[in-house]
Amino acid sequence: MALLEAENLTKTFRRPEKDPGLKGSFKHLIQRRFTTMTAVDRVSLSIEAGEAVAYVGPNGAGKSTTIKLLTGIVEPTSGEVRVGGIVPHRNRIANSRQIGVLFGQRTQLWWDLPVRESLALLRDMYDLTPDQYRRRLQRFEEVLGLDELLPVLARKLSLGQRMRADLACALLHDPKIVYLDEPTIGLDIAVKDRVREFLRQLKAEGTTIILTTHDLGDIEDTCERIVIIDGGRIIYDGSLAQVKDEYARERRVHLQLAEDLPLDVLALRFPQALVTAGETHREFTVAFDKADLTAGAILAGVAQTAEILEVRIDEPAIEDVVRKVYAGELTLSETAS
Amino acid sequence: MRAYATMARLSMRTTFAYRQAYALGTAASCLGLVASLALWSALLSGGAQLGGFTLTEMKGYMLVTFATNWLGNAVGEWSLANRIRDGQVAIDLVRPIATQRLMFAQVAGGFPVEVLIIGGAAAGFVLLAGPVPAPQRPLLLSVSLLLVIPLRFGIGFLTALVVFWTENFHGVAWARNAVSQLLSGSLVPLALMPQWLQVTAAVLPFASLTSSPALIYLGKVDTAGALGLVGLQIFWTVAIWFGAQLAFRGASRQVTVHGG
Amino acid sequence: MVDSVRTLRRSVFLYRRSLGAVVRSVLEYTADFWILIVAGIVTQSLGLVFLSVVMARVPQINGWSYAEMVFIYALAGISSSIVPVVADGIWALAGLIHNGKLDYLLTRPYPPLLQVMSMWVGFNGVGDLVASTVMLAWALASVAIAWSPGMVLAFVVLVLSGMALRIALAVASNAVSFWLKMPVPMFAMALWQVGELARYPLGIYGLAMRVLLGVAIPFAFAGFIPAAWLLDRTGYAWLGVLAPLVAIAAWIAAVWIFRRGLRRYESAGH
Repeated sequence: MALLEAENLTKTFRRPEKDPGLKGSFKHLIQRRFTTMTAVDRVSLSIEAGEAVAYVGPNGAGKSTTIKLLTGIVEPTSGEVRVGGIVPHRNRIANSRQIGVLFGQRTQLWWDLPVRESLALLRDMYDLTPDQYRRRLQRFEEVLGLDELLPVLARKLSLGQRMRADLACALLHDPKIVYLDEPTIGLDIAVKDRVREFLRQLKAEGTTIILTTHDLGDIEDTCERIVIIDGGRIIYDGSLAQVKDEYARERRVHLQLAEDLPLDVLALRFPQALVTAGETHREFTVAFDKADLTAGAILAGVAQTAEILEVRIDEPAIEDVVRKVYAGELTLSETAS
Repeated sequence: MRAYATMARLSMRTTFAYRQAYALGTAASCLGLVASLALWSALLSGGAQLGGFTLTEMKGYMLVTFATNWLGNAVGEWSLANRIRDGQVAIDLVRPIATQRLMFAQVAGGFPVEVLIIGGAAAGFVLLAGPVPAPQRPLLLSVSLLLVIPLRFGIGFLTALVVFWTENFHGVAWARNAVSQLLSGSLVPLALMPQWLQVTAAVLPFASLTSSPALIYLGKVDTAGALGLVGLQIFWTVAIWFGAQLAFRGASRQVTVHGG
Repeated sequence: MVDSVRTLRRSVFLYRRSLGAVVRSVLEYTADFWILIVAGIVTQSLGLVFLSVVMARVPQINGWSYAEMVFIYALAGISSSIVPVVADGIWALAGLIHNGKLDYLLTRPYPPLLQVMSMWVGFNGVGDLVASTVMLAWALASVAIAWSPGMVLAFVVLVLSGMALRIALAVASNAVSFWLKMPVPMFAMALWQVGELARYPLGIYGLAMRVLLGVAIPFAFAGFIPAAWLLDRTGYAWLGVLAPLVAIAAWIAAVWIFRRGLRRYESAGH
């Protein structure tokens, strides 16, 4: 049985429908109208132990709500979810021992206490032995450089420091499964790299990871599976590599040549590709499907005709696929992997 | 000027948005009134008098106390205190005079809801408690009551500024509330208190919050006396307004901003 | 059985740890600390001032002497002052719900209600406690109670059940925030104010108020009724024996309301 099983999870909210302004407020007193808004619409997921799943979608798609349903923070309107055999919202205490949670936009540190004290309080709540605690802190020092943060008051931490401390809090008790909701939001590139390295290590240790993020660079080396949600519904659930392979096949080679060259010459050379000229007749872009051509072949072909001064090769990241999906330009076939 | 009008209007809308909260606050306040009535009825049963106040007069006194406790109080001083604590005041400090006026506009926006509350409670009180003495010198009384609003605001604003030093508003607000209740005559008419307390109350602004309008209402002072009380209210209102301005500017030099 | 004892000890241990953490952080602001304590003392004293001022001229209210009135007032004060000392965090519940800040608490292996209750300490409660104790001590010396070992035990039980009742009422009224969703716990605050009315003899109030304070929101069992029982008066005093039961019932209700409320929790945005 999978570690996490969710079936037709649905969450709807009732919102009061009010006209704007003072008149609207008065009207609402007499005529109470509500609209129902569906945040999560029949989401089904099956996640095995050790998997690292990216949970991706545009703003308002229902990512955070899904995480709250999976962690038991919010009760589903309908549908079922089981994590390690436990129903999260019915058995919060039992579930809490097997999960770790990080909400990137909020901290779980005690605001007026040093980081060390927050961790100590959590240590006691999770009943860790002094040995276990020491070992975990050591680990966090290796991967996150936690020691320098321990004596600092939470409210004096910078965003990057706070995120590192919150990661330590989420993983202090070595949970089986960890939910990370935007763990790199607002971080500078140095800290992002650190966090990503941490995630990679987690994955290597066998922790099950569910990761929501807007920065798809977070998932590149960590998640093998991607789930895309939009409007509360899952529109794709499959292997990340497969997505890139099937839908992200476009490559671009940008060339700067030593001398002018007419466009047609190049275009004729590579009939399967689309060749466009840049600002001058020395700059060209060759866009091709990597199933048809390789970058090497293009370079070799061009070099026969002219001297190449500069080359830049664009490999589409998962962003491009997802961007197209969000924009509605691309509909992925629902594959179960 | 437009900014202040807008602020007042926004504030008014906020009070209506929080009508549930106000309804509850009013209900509790009214129950408090009922309790006071019960206590005083027990104290002054059978036509007794306390410090020159009969039961009927005490009813009027209680009503005025209720009104003055609500005037200028619907929109609390927590707003500024929290702004200071959370560091939003950095922007305010650039224009300290504007801040004070803006805050007052905010408080003034609570006036409609306060009138509703006081009106409703008064009607209910009269129905429940029977006849209440008719207000004396209605014009002076109205002025006196209206002056409570800026005076209460000023005291609240000054108190909120303490947050610059203690960073935590709770205790200060409470201590001030207790002192205010005592020295304004809300707890018991000042005439009933020991001499030394009466003297203390006489030199502090709190008496102008409740005792002054109450005494005017009951006709316990003649016209000259009433004018004197109103004059004192004006004095305190102006003094505290400008005092607060000075304090704000002085305090702005000692800003601690929380968080990052 | 051994398991439940261990769970209880762990609960108490974690509760104290949490309170301790708060105390340490509040002590950082020494000025506030003392201001709060003083504020507590002053606030409690107001009631005493009122009683002293009016009863200097009127010897009895409804058949109760000055010392007896102080006794009732102080006993009520002791039970209410414990709430800010050990459970002040409950007043933060409304804000936590409104801002969706309960999330993390719901992912930890410790009951969320206990986490919330222990997340703040109101030092004004210390001031309240000091003032109420002084008043109570004076009153005990001045009123006529038939003391015996049994009476002393009864006194302790009544004080403790009054405290438990007050905390339960604070929890229940704040748990209503799950339905009201206001950033400030107006309902709970209003209810607390009403509770303050139970510091006077129930007899001065009309029937409606007596039902309110005695049955609907039984604050009377935290102040007046136990006091009347100890003073061996007629009227409602006999109900004093029910005080512990009322406290237990209140706790059952409070926990039930909190749990139902938690099921409605919707968090907030991010």
